[in-house]
Amino acid sequence: MKKFSGVLVSVLLVFVLVLSACSAKNANNSSGVGPNSEGAASTASTDNQGAAGKKLKIAVVPKLIGIPYFNASETGALKAGTDLGVEVIYTGPTQADAAQQVKVIEDLISRKVDVIAVAPNDPASLTPVLKKAKEQGIKIMDWDTPADPSVVELSVQQIDNEVFGRTITDKLVEKMGLDTGEYAIVTGGLSASNLNTWIDWAQKQATEKYPGLKLVTDKVASDEKQQVAYQKTLDLLKAYPNLKGVMAFSTVAPLGAAQAVKEKGLEGKVAVVGTALPTDSKPYLMDGSLSSALLWDPGALGYLTVAMAKDLAEGKMPADGQDVPNVGKIQVKSDSKTVILGPPTEFTKENADQFKF
Amino acid sequence: MSKFSKISKETMLGFILVALFILMSIIAPGFLDAYNLSNMMFQLPELGILALGMMVVIVTGGIDLSITFTSSLSGVITAMCLSGHFPVAVAIFIGIAVGLICGLLNGFFIAVIGVSPILVTLGSMVLFEGINLTITKGNAISGFPDSFGNIGNMSIGPIPLPVIIFLVLAAITTVLLNRTVWGRSVYKVGINPVAAQFSGLNVKKVLMFVYLFSAFMAVIASIIMISRYNSAKVDLGSSYLLLTVSAAVLGGTEISGGYGKVIGTVYAVTIFQVLSNGLNLLGIPKTVVDILMGVILIAVLSLNYVSARMSHNKSIKQSIKSSSSENICF
Repeated sequence: MKKFSGVLVSVLLVFVLVLSACSAKNANNSSGVGPNSEGAASTASTDNQGAAGKKLKIAVVPKLIGIPYFNASETGALKAGTDLGVEVIYTGPTQADAAQQVKVIEDLISRKVDVIAVAPNDPASLTPVLKKAKEQGIKIMDWDTPADPSVVELSVQQIDNEVFGRTITDKLVEKMGLDTGEYAIVTGGLSASNLNTWIDWAQKQATEKYPGLKLVTDKVASDEKQQVAYQKTLDLLKAYPNLKGVMAFSTVAPLGAAQAVKEKGLEGKVAVVGTALPTDSKPYLMDGSLSSALLWDPGALGYLTVAMAKDLAEGKMPADGQDVPNVGKIQVKSDSKTVILGPPTEFTKENADQFKF
Repeated sequence: MSKFSKISKETMLGFILVALFILMSIIAPGFLDAYNLSNMMFQLPELGILALGMMVVIVTGGIDLSITFTSSLSGVITAMCLSGHFPVAVAIFIGIAVGLICGLLNGFFIAVIGVSPILVTLGSMVLFEGINLTITKGNAISGFPDSFGNIGNMSIGPIPLPVIIFLVLAAITTVLLNRTVWGRSVYKVGINPVAAQFSGLNVKKVLMFVYLFSAFMAVIASIIMISRYNSAKVDLGSSYLLLTVSAAVLGGTEISGGYGKVIGTVYAVTIFQVLSNGLNLLGIPKTVVDILMGVILIAVLSLNYVSARMSHNKSIKQSIKSSSSENICF
């Protein structure tokens, strides 16, 4: 009998090997194979190596994989890899969890990448592992969300945080139709510093320009899960029947919030404004449950991140007004470490069709 | 009878581990690098220590669903003490105290009142999470003194401190389970709690200590985790819950209780670590890694079940043969 189990074990091991070989081949062939690997780790490389020697390995780590926003950034990042002739490894945790992200980065250090560009779920958790990466000679930069400034050499941000935060508040007031009333905030992960910075500026704008706006409760977290945003917004609508507006940060939260508003039949009465991708928000924009979505092109952000990473690896720092091909003119802030992609774009039911992300 | 049949399932697991290790060394690039090996050794203890705690609970036929939230709650309290500039030893002590209170809560309802463990720990899991959220509002607490960071990040020679802590705890657990009255009682309670009760064992005391033990393991794991990640948050380690059960069960622990060996759990945790690390180095998506872990778990469990049935059937056949050959007659 035990001989049988011995055979079974060897069969199992061979099975594992074959499966891994298949998956590795799949992962190398193209980005996004099969139903489940939408946000999976993929590598892209070009054939024109030239005499440059070993190709640069750039790792781009989002907050999590598997949500449309980061899938779009992945597309942009991989395209940049193909265009610029670098190997891009786009991988991240399957949940917006700081501890898992640390593990991902540790594994990347083992893979001896040249640059790590990370969008931290929690900047403080990553500091020790990023320091370890630096010791191994890897260059560190952040994108989408700032990490601890003392460990990063470059920070690629999609938007000027102050401009964005203030714009969201203005948009909410515009869509609410009045500048007094109760509003609530739904956010993604509570320790994501990009979301928190925008929320701070949005609230500053509210207290400075619209004293009649009343925030009913502390910001509610949805951890980048649409289902949770939906549930929490339902709770908010129930607890505060006079709620007139919802600000939703992180790209799945506005959709969840819009779902909740639609279910209660409150479109038009409760304005939902947030950061969301046009293709996903289209249905909600059309039926009025989502009043307005503001964002930038995450694909361009992904592309810019890889372009900047390549420059960083080659020792070039970005310059203000520099024109990055396929992205546009970028701004560089006075600390010469922070790169801004551009101003936000508003998606409404009128123009949602024009965008492919 | 082939000698092969004498190999226990734990030793079989050990062979699988060695085979997997060799496999990964061959196919995964950079697997044997010093940095990678050290990386694996740093990542292993968190799951390992939690799995030890969970294993002992499962041996009694119970389960501790609140183990990860006990861990994060005590971690958060320790973190608050540390960032409040308490001395490191005091902060750790307070963290252990908080963890033991959590264990006491579980133990009280399970051992003394007699509610089913899965129900109690389900409730306490949500309770601890709620307390944690109320205290932290979901924010992460960071800002620890550098000396604390050493716990999770320091190595003694080539071996990381967390691994040493894990191995020491595994050794202690083995001694406790095999050499102490409490340990042997744990197995008896798992096999048949009613018989254990009537044979004079203080089942209440045994179970109470079991849940205190798992809470203590949870605290140690959390100290290592918050030191490594330099921050504490409500969901720290929450993804480990089902992995700890999987590791204990893969390691040969009977889910219905009564059997379980520390060495099996240690092998199982190491298998998970080697697998996940090796597959990452191969560039395989995390989602596929999860699938493979699940496949392996089901396969090994089926194997164990099938071989147990086979040997059970064989011993029945043997006893039928031997009794029929006696020619019983009046």
